[in-house]
Amino acid sequence: MWTRVLVRRICTLLLTALLGGILGATLVRFAPGFGVDERELDIRLREDSVQALRQSHSNERNLLKFYGAYLEGVLHGDLGVSHSFARPVAGLFAERLPMTLRTVALGLVGGWLLALVLALPVATLRGWSFDFLASSASGAFLCLPSAVVAILFLYFGGPAALAICAVVFPRVFRYARNLLVQTYALPHVLTARARGLSAIRILLWHIFPVAAPQLLALAGVSVSIALGAAIPIEVICDSPGIGQLAWQAALSRDLPLLVNMTLFVTLVTLAANAAADLTTKAFLRHTA
Amino acid sequence: MRTHRLALLAAGFLLAALPAKPQSGGELRFVLRSEPKTFDPMLVDEEASETIRYLTGGVLIRVNRKTQALEPELAVSWKVSEGGKKISFRAREGLLFSDGTPFTAEDVAFTMQKLMNPDLHSPTGDSFRSSQGPVRVTTANPRDVTIEFPAPVAGLERLFDQVAVVSSHSPKKEAAVLGPFVVAEYKSGSYVLLKRNPLYWKKDARGRRLPYLDSIRLDIQQNRDLELLRFKRNEIQLINSLDASYFENLAKEAPSAVRDIGPSLDSEQIWFNQVPSAPIPDYKKNWFRSTSFRLAISEAINRDDLCRVVFGSHARPAVGPVSPANLFWFDKSLQPHPYDPQAALRRLQQEGFRLDGHVLNDPGGHAVEFSVVTNAGNKYREQMAAMIQQDLEQIGIRLNIVTLDFPSLIERISRTFDYELCLLGLVNVDLDPSAQMSVWLSSSSNHQWNPEQKSPATSWEAEIDRLMQAQASTNDQNQRKRYFDQVQKIVWEQQPFIYLVNKNALVVISPALANTSPVVLRPQTFWNVETLYFSNQGRGASQ
Repeated sequence: MWTRVLVRRICTLLLTALLGGILGATLVRFAPGFGVDERELDIRLREDSVQALRQSHSNERNLLKFYGAYLEGVLHGDLGVSHSFARPVAGLFAERLPMTLRTVALGLVGGWLLALVLALPVATLRGWSFDFLASSASGAFLCLPSAVVAILFLYFGGPAALAICAVVFPRVFRYARNLLVQTYALPHVLTARARGLSAIRILLWHIFPVAAPQLLALAGVSVSIALGAAIPIEVICDSPGIGQLAWQAALSRDLPLLVNMTLFVTLVTLAANAAADLTTKAFLRHTA
Repeated sequence: MRTHRLALLAAGFLLAALPAKPQSGGELRFVLRSEPKTFDPMLVDEEASETIRYLTGGVLIRVNRKTQALEPELAVSWKVSEGGKKISFRAREGLLFSDGTPFTAEDVAFTMQKLMNPDLHSPTGDSFRSSQGPVRVTTANPRDVTIEFPAPVAGLERLFDQVAVVSSHSPKKEAAVLGPFVVAEYKSGSYVLLKRNPLYWKKDARGRRLPYLDSIRLDIQQNRDLELLRFKRNEIQLINSLDASYFENLAKEAPSAVRDIGPSLDSEQIWFNQVPSAPIPDYKKNWFRSTSFRLAISEAINRDDLCRVVFGSHARPAVGPVSPANLFWFDKSLQPHPYDPQAALRRLQQEGFRLDGHVLNDPGGHAVEFSVVTNAGNKYREQMAAMIQQDLEQIGIRLNIVTLDFPSLIERISRTFDYELCLLGLVNVDLDPSAQMSVWLSSSSNHQWNPEQKSPATSWEAEIDRLMQAQASTNDQNQRKRYFDQVQKIVWEQQPFIYLVNKNALVVISPALANTSPVVLRPQTFWNVETLYFSNQGRGASQ
């Protein structure tokens, strides 16, 4: 049963990622400025070199052909060559992925910890002042676009992971706070409190089992929030991860790099959501 | 006794007169504003790779960035013959590449043969290709090499400033270098670390082997704010080509670090689309093809205001394709078109244009209105466009500003020709006008206002073609200068490019760094890198 669900999930995931890749490639292919190279304006180049530059993108004009050749390459472990970096995409990913994964992972952990640490007292203490302070802080961060958060951290010398944490925290806090407040107001929790059960016991046995499915779903979504935030943050903080790579690829209409980037982001987002989904199912089955 | 005292006194004076002893060691840090695409000196086509080539590559002849004169490097002498078709070098003896491989004339031959491969499409190689045909390279002995081109190459010896010699025998290939530094470490997106080349051939006046610095760390950083911030934190010691606003900002905090070296070689200009097949109305094409119209626009633009307001007076009104920083080729007899909106209006009225209220109409009754495209994110160009908009409004012309990202802009100006007026800059890396050949020849794709013409569309373009070919086919510098002065005059009269400003070269240098002498030519601050060193006070801060 589980194997069948898993296989179905993986197939859906791969199919969606491939469709995402095609869609990404199509958008880039028909974007203005596709197939032009800044170097064409280099006045030192002779006419044949300018023409050679123009021809260098000709194999990408037919999208189906390009995508077919790309998939064939992927099966052989070749992700293509980036135009803007003049290097194999696989190498670029290998060099930059660890940086982004570390930054995003730290940002996620930090954001979640901060959100839960602030949301729990709001739900348990029920005092308006703490709630006001925590909600104001999260509201302030929520108003700030990721790029502005990045600029703030840049000037105060904070690391990129902390900037991602500042982007993730308000989104998780707002949802977690409401969820926990609602869960703490449930009759069985009130009964448990009235019977004098310890706060930890209430949290572990009566709150988390109820809130877990929604929190897990939020965890899946927060991965894509963090990945999305990584692009402007890495660009502004000059952090050499794949967020910065994605930005440069978009600016230079680097099709091979952008297709891989789209596939990667789609795969990570889908995998995170699928993992959250499966964990929720397993959790519900266990609690049932 | 008296004689001894006098001798001692004289020796004391001599020692005092000698410059302070340079300190060896330390790591110089500055920023590369993009990722270097290659470490192969033959394939260099962008600034970051050029910087690394300059710091690591050994060249036969070097253009002294201060005097703009040629100086022997790996070649002890050279001779240009057959009107610039042939060049012979005598290589310096006893030199070694960074890996210990000996340097011979064979390496020069190998480098030139590789560089002149037309399939390489190298900008450096293309600079030598004045016509089709093979390049013959012959080595008579380990020191003498002769290179023969199929046709004369204008300013031939100057081009060798860009040719870093690679070893024909070293197993390390292009990683074995003859320059002052070697690439020791590279982390994609983060930094390039260069270490001192222990086998570098140059020595100082005291016989000490150069360079003085132990290493150079080039941090890859695109964010200019961060670059400035890091300078203030003393994490980097140099900034090249600084923006005027950053310059002013830093000038308040560290006036001794900032330097305005005067007009650079770079220019900012606008041009009207004169492509016959462009998807714009015919009446607009007629405006743009009219010399009087272009001259009127030129006269209506207040260049002094552009320099003062946009560049904080760190720019100079531009005259033509050559900046006054180019000492030999600049035509001193030309002056920028004076700002005179009334004269501009009179000129347009002579052509049948009429000012009705605040709107200028052409002879066909069409209101004169067009758009200027420029690249988004360049705040100086955006500001210049806004100021030009106000200037033109005074003579009844409505200008719309459109900013596009760079690939979209290039597509418009070189493929679809779907634009009316374009505002862009020209970055000049070479002093010689032959480097601008592709801009001026009417058949070229970089002849921006009307590229790839089968035959010149106008008589003055035909004349420019002729003059450019003529200056390229002779090796007499004074004759070449006369030809190119005529080109500059035609451009000044016809205004196919309306030159706006020459930005000043603005740099920042840490006071900790000694023996600096910034210049307008690239690389502005570290052209004499081998003799740069940290002063005693600066050493602590730099490490």
